[in-house]
Amino acid sequence: MDPTTATDGTTATAVPPADTPHSPDATPAGAPGRHRPARRAVLRTAFTAAVVAGTGGVLAPVLFKDPGTPGRGERRSQAPERFSERYRGRDIRGGVSGLVPAGGQARPGEAAAASTATVAEVTIDGRPLHVMRRADGSYLSEVNHYESFPTLLETARAAVDELGTAQLSATTPHTI
Amino acid sequence: MYSRKNQRNLTRTEKKRLVGAILELKRSGRYDEFVSLHRQYYVTDAESRPRPAHMTPSFFPWHRRYLLEFEKALQTVDSGVTVPYWDWTQDNTPAASLWAEDFLGGNGRAGDRQVVTGPFAYAEGNWRIRAGVTDDRFLRRDFGRPSAPVTLPTKAEVDRALGDPVYDAAPWNSLSTTGFRNRIEGWGIRGVRGVGNHNRVHRWIGGSMAGAASPDDPVFWLHHAYIDLLWTRWQKAHPRARYLPDRAPAAGDPQRGRIFALDDPMPPWDAKPSQLLDHSRLYRYV
Repeated sequence: MDPTTATDGTTATAVPPADTPHSPDATPAGAPGRHRPARRAVLRTAFTAAVVAGTGGVLAPVLFKDPGTPGRGERRSQAPERFSERYRGRDIRGGVSGLVPAGGQARPGEAAAASTATVAEVTIDGRPLHVMRRADGSYLSEVNHYESFPTLLETARAAVDELGTAQLSATTPHTI
Repeated sequence: MYSRKNQRNLTRTEKKRLVGAILELKRSGRYDEFVSLHRQYYVTDAESRPRPAHMTPSFFPWHRRYLLEFEKALQTVDSGVTVPYWDWTQDNTPAASLWAEDFLGGNGRAGDRQVVTGPFAYAEGNWRIRAGVTDDRFLRRDFGRPSAPVTLPTKAEVDRALGDPVYDAAPWNSLSTTGFRNRIEGWGIRGVRGVGNHNRVHRWIGGSMAGAASPDDPVFWLHHAYIDLLWTRWQKAHPRARYLPDRAPAAGDPQRGRIFALDDPMPPWDAKPSQLLDHSRLYRYV
């Protein structure tokens, strides 16, 4: 991805999560365990990094014809990811489902120059998998917090591998 | 001043007292507050919020303070208890005494990966996961991830990190290719290196330890005590090296306001890295 395509005056700031009542200057996490995110906030994860810099804002879902093809790790930045498959007996679905323009400057020096906040949704057997991103644009999930994956599909598959027969929590991922 | 011991050298009584204190924190609800705190401070480097705990130079001092808080909580239950460390380069098999019935219990069983041995087995009635990543109420482990095998880091891999004379380096995040901090924190960097040391241990244990609620597994504390010890060893190996960055990034630097320089107070304790560089008046490793 050419970082220079991302300097369109949009922001590096993610859409404020519904469960964060604090200003951006507040502590990153706020008071422990005090708030329950809206269900929608669980299903939708705002990303800071541009997946489709330069497309002008409308995403056309693209089906991966062969998600198992080697080299998929070098994701084409123009192709927003969308998938739905059975993997080890589990129904995994996901994709970048929206593009949320925001205001601000792209930050230089980040591989996935953050210019537009995208929203990704991944589910395993219908339950939301909370997904985050790293500065290089790769993805992490709440199931695999200590390694990242180039695509959402690989993130979902790795989560299934880690879960075994377990189901994702039906409740929110951020509260006790 | 107290000692943190290698877990392999604990007596049966010491193990029993440590387990007892952990179970009491769990019973009182204090334990789950620690789990929640760790989860809340998991901020990635794609986010513009401050990130004191992971993918960041303050990975070591933040976790040092976090462990001290946990240890203090343990000591309110039993003043003689300290957090031992697990040297996973040495005790690197599922047969290690760490995983025995009288200590942390063993691997999860096939299928649901439920830990069914030791004091943290669900059936014992004292270890109910309240807000894990899954619906399950039991502790999960999956040693070595048989579906895509992972090995524990070796002494050579740790030594390579210890040999780096610089604490941390730009871009001060998970993509720092040099510097002791990310060599130990262990973020995989495409084309540079795979998942390493600290991160790989979380991966090797798997289950609860691999995910967002990793402190649900009590081995978390023993793992991080060893990470803490490695920081001390690195300081001794490089006596003139310093914590970096020593001052906040300049205006316009993408990391400004997101990382913690030497004297920046870290939430939630308002503790500066500079206050956590030397633990010798609090505890020592033996």
